[in-house]
Amino acid sequence: MLLNQFLLLAAILFSIGVYGVIVRRNGVLVLMSIELILNSVNINLIAFSTYHGLGGQVFALFVIAVAAAEVGVGLAIVLLIYRNRRSVDIDALDELKG
Amino acid sequence: MIIQVPPTVPVVPEQLDPSAVPLAVPEIVWSAVAPALVLMIGGILLLTVVSLVRKPLPSWFHATWTVATATAAICATVPLWQRVQDNGASSEMAGTVGLDGFSLFVTGVICVSVILAALLLEGYLRREDLVGPEWYVLMLLSASGGVVMASANDLIVLFLGLEILSVAVYVLAAMHSRRTSSQEAGLKYFVLGAFSSAFLLYGIALTYGATGSTNLAGIQTFLADNVLVDNGLLLAGLAFMLVGFGFKVAAVPFHMWAPDVYQGAPTPVSAYMAAGVKAAGFAGLLRVFVTTFGPTYREEWMPMVAALAVLSLVVGSVMAIIQTNVKRMLAYSSISHAGFILLGVAAASDAGTSAALFYLLVYTFMVAGSFGVVTLIGRKGDGRHSLEDYRGLSRARPGLALVFTVFLLAQSGIPLTGGFLAKFYVIGAIVDEGLYALAAVAMLTAVISAFLYLRVIVAMYFAGPAGAEEGSEEPAEFAGPPVRIPAAAGLALGLALVGTLALGIVPGPATEVTRDATAELTVGN
Amino acid sequence: MTAVIPVMILLPFLGALVIGLTPARRAEVFRPIAVLASGGTAAVAAYVLTQFESGEAGYQFVVDRTWIADLGISMHFGIDGISLFLVLMTAGIFPIAILGAKPHHDPKPYYAWLLILQAGSIGVFCALDLVMFFVFFEIVLVPMYFLIGMWGHGRRTYAATKFFLYTMAGSALMLVGIFALALLQSNATGDPLTFDIVTITDNLAVSTTAGRWIFVALAIAFAVKVPLFPLHTWLPDAHTEAPTAGSVILAAVMLKLGTYGFLRLGIEMLPEASVWAAPVLMTLGVIGLTYGAIAATMQKDLKRLVAYSSVAHLGFIILGMFSLTTQGIEGGVLIMVNHGITTGALFLLVGMIYERRHTRLISELSGLQKVAPVMAAVFTTVMLASVGLPGLNGFPGEFLALLGAFSGARWWGVVAVTGVILAALYLLWAYQRTFHGPLTAENASMKDMTGSEFAVMVPLLALIVFLGIYPTPLLERMEPSVEAVIVHVEESVPGFISPDPGLERRAVGDHGDGAEEGEG
Repeated sequence: MLLNQFLLLAAILFSIGVYGVIVRRNGVLVLMSIELILNSVNINLIAFSTYHGLGGQVFALFVIAVAAAEVGVGLAIVLLIYRNRRSVDIDALDELKG
Repeated sequence: MIIQVPPTVPVVPEQLDPSAVPLAVPEIVWSAVAPALVLMIGGILLLTVVSLVRKPLPSWFHATWTVATATAAICATVPLWQRVQDNGASSEMAGTVGLDGFSLFVTGVICVSVILAALLLEGYLRREDLVGPEWYVLMLLSASGGVVMASANDLIVLFLGLEILSVAVYVLAAMHSRRTSSQEAGLKYFVLGAFSSAFLLYGIALTYGATGSTNLAGIQTFLADNVLVDNGLLLAGLAFMLVGFGFKVAAVPFHMWAPDVYQGAPTPVSAYMAAGVKAAGFAGLLRVFVTTFGPTYREEWMPMVAALAVLSLVVGSVMAIIQTNVKRMLAYSSISHAGFILLGVAAASDAGTSAALFYLLVYTFMVAGSFGVVTLIGRKGDGRHSLEDYRGLSRARPGLALVFTVFLLAQSGIPLTGGFLAKFYVIGAIVDEGLYALAAVAMLTAVISAFLYLRVIVAMYFAGPAGAEEGSEEPAEFAGPPVRIPAAAGLALGLALVGTLALGIVPGPATEVTRDATAELTVGN
Repeated sequence: MTAVIPVMILLPFLGALVIGLTPARRAEVFRPIAVLASGGTAAVAAYVLTQFESGEAGYQFVVDRTWIADLGISMHFGIDGISLFLVLMTAGIFPIAILGAKPHHDPKPYYAWLLILQAGSIGVFCALDLVMFFVFFEIVLVPMYFLIGMWGHGRRTYAATKFFLYTMAGSALMLVGIFALALLQSNATGDPLTFDIVTITDNLAVSTTAGRWIFVALAIAFAVKVPLFPLHTWLPDAHTEAPTAGSVILAAVMLKLGTYGFLRLGIEMLPEASVWAAPVLMTLGVIGLTYGAIAATMQKDLKRLVAYSSVAHLGFIILGMFSLTTQGIEGGVLIMVNHGITTGALFLLVGMIYERRHTRLISELSGLQKVAPVMAAVFTTVMLASVGLPGLNGFPGEFLALLGAFSGARWWGVVAVTGVILAALYLLWAYQRTFHGPLTAENASMKDMTGSEFAVMVPLLALIVFLGIYPTPLLERMEPSVEAVIVHVEESVPGFISPDPGLERRAVGDHGDGAEEGEG
């Protein structure tokens, strides 16, 4: 079992997540992409924790909890916008610019 | 991306026996986290009280409660400050919470921004028909997150503090239920904020992998004792963390969210974001970069931070002068202020850190005051923020115009205001490091941004009536409904004014405090 | 008695505070308060003059209080023979400017800003700490910005903004220079950080290269303020659009902040760099004085003409000072004071004409002498003083400055003389076109000076004549300080000998020769 493989997997997930945040227009999919990044971090943390002790796994638990809270708030905001505009298209939000 | 395994790590891990790792529960020193606890409990209690009382409580009650809680938190720092001054800094709870002058000072700054924002919020909510305790509860909780972040001595705690801080502010930004631009700001802030937290987290994970610890003291000791032959992992971690912090403090090129969010968010919330959230972000940045990686990896991160600083200064000031929306202008100007504070970080010295702390304190007063005036001028609907809406203010509301002028001149760094000394200390710190070119760039961009502040002053004082030829002595008529100044907002503006001027005229006490705060900055012992 | 400098700074400031706290509807009280506060300051300044020990080179009335302890910044103030008359002129010209012109609207902020401006200007001339100097140097921008922007004419917003940004851009690098100087100085000497001008001047320890860089950083700030030739473009705009009092103060006081800075922080504090930069600055001075004169000749607007004449005079000051001779520097300081008096008077007169005719175009004014003989007479006197006619106050300074230039850099002096001739040309020509010629219908109804207007001009006229005939009181008080400067420059720059022909002789103690030469 090589550490590099886990790190590579995490890096790939991270990149997919970043790509999703940048490219996706649907608000919910953007949230999912952020989740992907956070999970890539979790893979990293757990992979490293096999060498460095339990700290990483504890951290991963925290990250899972925080991610849940974050997504809860994020979905609430998306929902609010959907109620007002009947759309979750992020690119359509263009009231603010200058 | 290729990530290299640090050579200190054996490639084939030994099987860990879970029972071999004792999970010791550290001693909980409640007093060390007293300010954060006060804020958090104050927020929760407010929510509880409001839910238990049958009749809706008056608006002033929430604001008073919030101000009292924040004041109590400031009071709670005083004995701790004494303790730190007497016994030196320490870290509590298994080294995860740093109890030092630095964290206490930033705690104070965050509490001040809460007080000012809460006072502004009171009249704002009545005007906009949005009276409710949630705003204040969220603000108190987010401030407690900021305090946790400022005192974090462990990357886990730092991350938790950051999230407590941010999640509450995402909601605050989107709280104006009738302004769609507020919701837009909330979503944009959320997406980019979560994105940047994820970057920060990724960086933390890599750093953890490279050094074997999330504890800042542990990292520092590890780096001091070991020379990493192959430090790619750590450098990648540093870079990712810098990106994360760069987003939080709105440094160019990670600033894109700031103008939109500051413009769209309810104005008192913008004030809190610009003052309190930024202070917490810089606290994390200073502690991680200057204190933890300062002794060993300064050469690596300093150019990156300096580059961010220069970009922020230039882009912030240049973009600001082409704006016509005052909130947006202030957003860009806050980006260029972030550049100034980043210069203090880049100096990576005690002088630099204490300059950055002083700047944060002054900036809290200046920016909260500026957004305070903008709150009032926005009038019902929070929508009158174009430069046009300030024409003739000097006649309609001479006092308000004068106060705004002081805040604007302070931001441009005119002497006898705190803004001048803030810039002065930063310049001193970087000149001391021999970075003359950076100092020159900083001062020249300060001139560029002075133009932006002058534009607002011109609109308030010099503008003739719309359509009149320039040079007519006819004063401009102030358009729209009259500006009302609620008592609480007046108090906030007064406090901000006193703070801005006092720090410029009698800076002695404040600089002593920042110096002590820096001297007692530690990552553990 | 040692507290006179704080009093001179705080008195106008307190006046401004009182005005600020008085409700705006009591419009009639602001002017008296302003006159009282600025006049009181002038009275204190006069008291300073009587108490000033002439023959002393050092600083007098010194006040030194710590401001920011950990950076070694102190509120250090003092007056020597060089700053004495600049302080006097500043204190004196403000009441005259306040009495000589009224604002058209908003009297309250108008007088408050003027008083703050007075406090700040006096602060610059008295400051003996680099940071204090910078603080006052910057702070005066704000009141002047508001004066131009709110009570100005024509393109006032443009002029005010241009003025503010130009000056601020200039002084941006000054702050870096100041900090670099203090830090390098403290590194080199091992002393704690200090920004004290006297301490740094007395044992300057920075390297030659660093000293030159710092000089450049400071010189840009001063050159903008003076203004020296390529950086002067803000001045005609600001002068022209400013209200009368603003133009008077700009010309009399604000421009001198730059020349004074060159002298105090340049020649005196960084002698080596000043010697190094002297040829460039003298060249710029000469270019400025010829360019200013030529540009003035071509102006159609009377006020703009006077503005360009300022550029010319200030070029003269720079030329004199950077000849690095006693006469040159004395001449420079004399021109600073006298230019304040004459140009201030000229701006007041132009303001009076504008109030009556609502135009400043020379082409629309003619034959005024027939309807306003008193004004014409006053104008003639002031104009001749500005030209540098012997017997009036413009002459001694220009003469000394030229003398200095001739002994140091002959050819610069020769070019400068043409500038003097050009000055006669543009001013006399302008006078001829406005006051003589056919009296057109629009000008026929113009009223002559009123009694109160004349009363304001009287002290200026008296000084013009008195200082023209008898400049000795000024010279004998400034000479020890100026000589000390030259001696200091010679001591600190190895191999540099001031081209001053009379220095050795006077250094023995034979004071007053320069004065007599000046009279001749």
